[in-house]
Amino acid sequence: MTSAMTVLQPVSEIYVPDAKPDETYETRLFDRTFRFKGLKALLGAADFDKAGDRLAGLAAADETAREAARKILSQLTLRHLYDRPLTDDSGAIDQVMRVNYAIDRQAFAAFSHFTLGDAKDYILRSKPADLKRFGAALTGPMAAALAKLMDVHELIFAAKKLKRWATARTTVGQPGTLSSRLQPNHPTDDLSAVTLLVYTGLSLGGGDALFGLNPAIDTVDNISAILHHLDKLRQQTGAPTQVCVLSHIKTQLACLEKGAPVEIMFQSLAGTDRTLVEEFDCTVPLLDRAYLTMAEKGPLAGQSAQVMYFETGQGSELTYGKHNGMDMTTTEALCYGLARRYDPFMVNNVTGFIGPETHRTNFEMIISNLQDHFMGKLLGIPMGMAPCYTLHSEITMEGQQMATELLTAAGANYFMDVYLSVDRMLAYFDTCSHDDQTLREIYGLEPAPEYTRWAIEKGIFARDEDGTLTRGANWGNPRIFCGSDLEFQRLRDSLPAAYGWDNAGPRPSNAVSRDIKANLAAAREAIYAEIATEKLGTFEFRHVATRAHSKAEHLNNPDIGARIGEAERKQLAPETADVQIVISDGLSAEAVHHNIPELLPVLMDGLRQQQISVGRPIVAPYGRVKLAEDIGEALRPKLVINLIGERPGGDAMASRSMSAYLAYRLGDEDVCAAARSFSGHDDIKYEYTVISNIYRQGMPPVEAGSLIAERAKQILHNRAAGNRLERVLSEGS
Amino acid sequence: MARANADVEITLSKNFELENNYRWSEAAHSTIALRARRVAAGMSRLAQSDRVTLVGLDFGSTTSSLLAITARIANNCATGRMAFCDARTLHRPAPVFTPFRDDAIDLTDLRVRVTDWLLEAGIGREDIFAGGAIVTGLAAERGNAHAIAGLVADVLGESVVATADDPRLESWLAFMGAAGALSRAHPGTPVLNLDIGGGTTNPAFGIAGNVRSTGCYFIGARHVEFEPGSYRVTRLSRYGAAVLDRLGIDAGPGQDLASRDRSRLLAYYVDALAAIVAGSQAPFAHATGRLIAQAPFAAPDGTPLLTFSGGVGEMIYAIAAGEPAPDTTHYGDLGIDLALAILGDERLARDVHRHVPEHRGRATVQGLTLNNTEVSGTTLFLNGDDALPLRDLPVVASVPARSEAAALADALMLAGRSQRGACLQLSWNGSHPSFEDVKRLGGAVSDALARAEMPGDASLVILTDANVGKALGNYATAWRSTGLRLIVIDEIPERNALFVNLGRMRNGVVPVSFYGMN
Repeated sequence: MTSAMTVLQPVSEIYVPDAKPDETYETRLFDRTFRFKGLKALLGAADFDKAGDRLAGLAAADETAREAARKILSQLTLRHLYDRPLTDDSGAIDQVMRVNYAIDRQAFAAFSHFTLGDAKDYILRSKPADLKRFGAALTGPMAAALAKLMDVHELIFAAKKLKRWATARTTVGQPGTLSSRLQPNHPTDDLSAVTLLVYTGLSLGGGDALFGLNPAIDTVDNISAILHHLDKLRQQTGAPTQVCVLSHIKTQLACLEKGAPVEIMFQSLAGTDRTLVEEFDCTVPLLDRAYLTMAEKGPLAGQSAQVMYFETGQGSELTYGKHNGMDMTTTEALCYGLARRYDPFMVNNVTGFIGPETHRTNFEMIISNLQDHFMGKLLGIPMGMAPCYTLHSEITMEGQQMATELLTAAGANYFMDVYLSVDRMLAYFDTCSHDDQTLREIYGLEPAPEYTRWAIEKGIFARDEDGTLTRGANWGNPRIFCGSDLEFQRLRDSLPAAYGWDNAGPRPSNAVSRDIKANLAAAREAIYAEIATEKLGTFEFRHVATRAHSKAEHLNNPDIGARIGEAERKQLAPETADVQIVISDGLSAEAVHHNIPELLPVLMDGLRQQQISVGRPIVAPYGRVKLAEDIGEALRPKLVINLIGERPGGDAMASRSMSAYLAYRLGDEDVCAAARSFSGHDDIKYEYTVISNIYRQGMPPVEAGSLIAERAKQILHNRAAGNRLERVLSEGS
Repeated sequence: MARANADVEITLSKNFELENNYRWSEAAHSTIALRARRVAAGMSRLAQSDRVTLVGLDFGSTTSSLLAITARIANNCATGRMAFCDARTLHRPAPVFTPFRDDAIDLTDLRVRVTDWLLEAGIGREDIFAGGAIVTGLAAERGNAHAIAGLVADVLGESVVATADDPRLESWLAFMGAAGALSRAHPGTPVLNLDIGGGTTNPAFGIAGNVRSTGCYFIGARHVEFEPGSYRVTRLSRYGAAVLDRLGIDAGPGQDLASRDRSRLLAYYVDALAAIVAGSQAPFAHATGRLIAQAPFAAPDGTPLLTFSGGVGEMIYAIAAGEPAPDTTHYGDLGIDLALAILGDERLARDVHRHVPEHRGRATVQGLTLNNTEVSGTTLFLNGDDALPLRDLPVVASVPARSEAAALADALMLAGRSQRGACLQLSWNGSHPSFEDVKRLGGAVSDALARAEMPGDASLVILTDANVGKALGNYATAWRSTGLRLIVIDEIPERNALFVNLGRMRNGVVPVSFYGMN
């Protein structure tokens, strides 16, 4: 049945109480007195211990302090939180916060006297129908505060009662179902590879929530082409689902104008305006426009009112340094308060995606996922979950699998379907179709009903005598969607990195799993390997320490690897060389070990042959890209070449990938003025040319060394780098 | 969530460069490299997003055909090399009978036909990135076959390589066009493709998409021509006449070829084909056999997967699929009977129902259009902006890149004798050249080139299969300080060919087409 589109209340008409000065919250616990200055500090201290909050200085100093904060929080009323909207760094109430106050005020009046402790108990005692009204009375920060008072059982138990489903072409989230979003990403948007990934996912019973692809390049032409392609696959296979390409909302609107099938409109959300506007280039009015445009012109207009899709995840505001002093759980809840405005078809939570600076361990990732799922459902959102990880965190595949088990128990609407869990496009690890099917079989769940009927017709599923849905004869066989074996082989050619299609029950076969895990192990080892000078060839290096004193510090705090250590700085004085080479492990010491012995001799030969003077190369363990600038300021070369290991992806070879960042120091005023004019940034101090993908299977190090030497000559000769250099060169030719 | 600005790992196997002077996000700078790589991938994709047009023309014994396609130049995920991908047919008109007049190819008629095809396709000379034209089979025997090269240059422009009487190239092309995908899809299975047309049978054997051996025999449908609907002979090729003579069959123009004689003729051809497949030289040991064995084929050991292409090949698969055979001598030749005879022979028909290759009837033109042009890597060593295109360069030698300096010097002495420049192929045989390898080779090239005394403005072009073009060129010229006229084009697999064409650079890559495989 078609539901009506939501009438959007003008943001300016949403009532928000005036901000109030921070007050001090105090309590005693076991002879210790605990004080927290302001609601943000209290909310931060009350949360579970997480890397991002530690980095922001918001986490409690110890477990007792955490419980003290929770004790105080439990005694505050909902009204207390309502009356104290959290402000941005300038003391203003931003648009995201304002939208969060679009609540059911009658319901709020009924519950406003509840303390948060009362509210938590009410949730645990109440029936689902009552909770729906209760959730409508809450702002994001209230939901976040409640999540911090709950343990694992409570987060699961409460969320289980808060089933929220939504309907586009299919209905996702009904009781007894577990859906999946098929994510056929490819590093170059190769449509043949995308086709094979879609066929594979469908054959494994995936994709009933969405075919949703993260594109490599966000242009209207490319996004339109992918949308049409996904829509063609949807129609050819007959799979009941919907399609989406997760490009920027502006791009999708342009695609829609051109007639592309933007069935579901996607956008990443953030819990602060600064992140949403400055980093995601999105505003509430733009979201409003997208929603209203979809209501009028979307392919599903008139058929479904739920056509928006948002992605969120704890820590994005923090990683951009734009969290306004709020903890990660609170800013995440603010995203849901924003998403609620648009009655979305899907909200996907990808907590764990960023890295160890937000979630370092399995526990941190798991507990955040459970919190997010609970908060989203409480605020009325149809939550899908993508517990995920990157290799430079300590989160493991097993930790991620534990998260999915718990989230399935909690009633998550859907998980992701990334082919065998490795997304080479985004260099992270998510759930796969095998995980989704395994969870369905463990918990007795099925895909969306329309999809299930189709999949039974295709032989992907079957019903046994007692009505149980089982894997059918064609489960896991993508060839059923190909006209011939040759067509399948052609598609297979487009995806040489695919691990294979052998299965054991609902799982990949052991041979396939071993390949995946071996690659993960090698890639992870590359991150944790220490840079070893003896593996860099026979050059005489000098060593410069950064402010990171250990691998753990380096991985968990990206800032400190970009700065020279204090003691070292005193020993570095300006020199006269044209070029200074810096070698740093970055996120893969193995990349440096594998490339530098071949690359550096060519680079040094090339620079010398071109009469470019070079300082003694520096080895800087635990370094980041921007270390080039700090070294540039200390030694004053014209150009710093930072050779640095890249974040490993999902295979062993890619962990050997290195980049060269050619940081041109804008020393002279006339050059600086030209760069300012070109870039539009008044504070620009360096221009960068980047040569990436340096490894034997990409650009071999010998060839890369030659190319870097040529580029260095061009930069110094033309006194420009990056796009400005390209323009100078193109004008010259 | 920050996917819009997400960390990205690009596992493409090519180099990307980009500028990145946006304002760094202080707190997120761990992601800078990865964002940069994402932008790099995007830029690369943008740069490669415009499509190129490729054209192939096959002037055969019976028919002539054109294929025009557009393709994107991008990384081939499987090989890691730049290649044409996402090919889409732009124009594929029905083949026409190759026009002959007085035992010669009717060039006027052909020019009109080719011009019309291009008009129908909406393609101008300047639109063509690369392509090829080949005169095959009995058409290549005609006295004016080589004049087609001039016609092609006039109508299609300098981007298209033209060749006649190049039977091993034809075999190679037919394999790539018909069985290339099948062979790549089954890399452990040796594949032998028999391209059977009007004039010749072109066997080619390959593994994992790489052709290992080729051959050519004057066995085909059109050595004996008939009045359509009957077996009344209208014309005999000299090869057809020789075979009939060998078999003691007296059937000249105006006479009917009796049923028994047809059977004997077909049995002769089928046995000869079976001998080609089996590697037996017996049927080609006598004078007639030597006559029809234009380019002897070295068959592989074992039992390869056997596929067919060409006009007769297409008919074989059509009949095997249950389609009715055309009426008696519908095409005025022996093609239908030969197809049926092959289907009736278990030595030859053993795999007909197992695997069906692609582009069966038009394998040659397909291979010519899409497979005969290689795409270079993106870090090349060029000698000035106007260094390309270069046409018809002789490939003077193909030597291992790790050869002794003397071998290299000998090859470059040969190059020095070519007034219009020369091409040298250096192969690393799949190994990765080290820094020492490249530096040493660069020095050796420099020394040898200085001694070779290349004439005037002639360039030496080095084609090499590894991704070392820029480094090798720089070491050979001391970073462009020696003034040597050297071009190094990398990531071009070694080909057994006599000539090469280098097209204009586009999107940072250069098309390289080969011809002359005899």
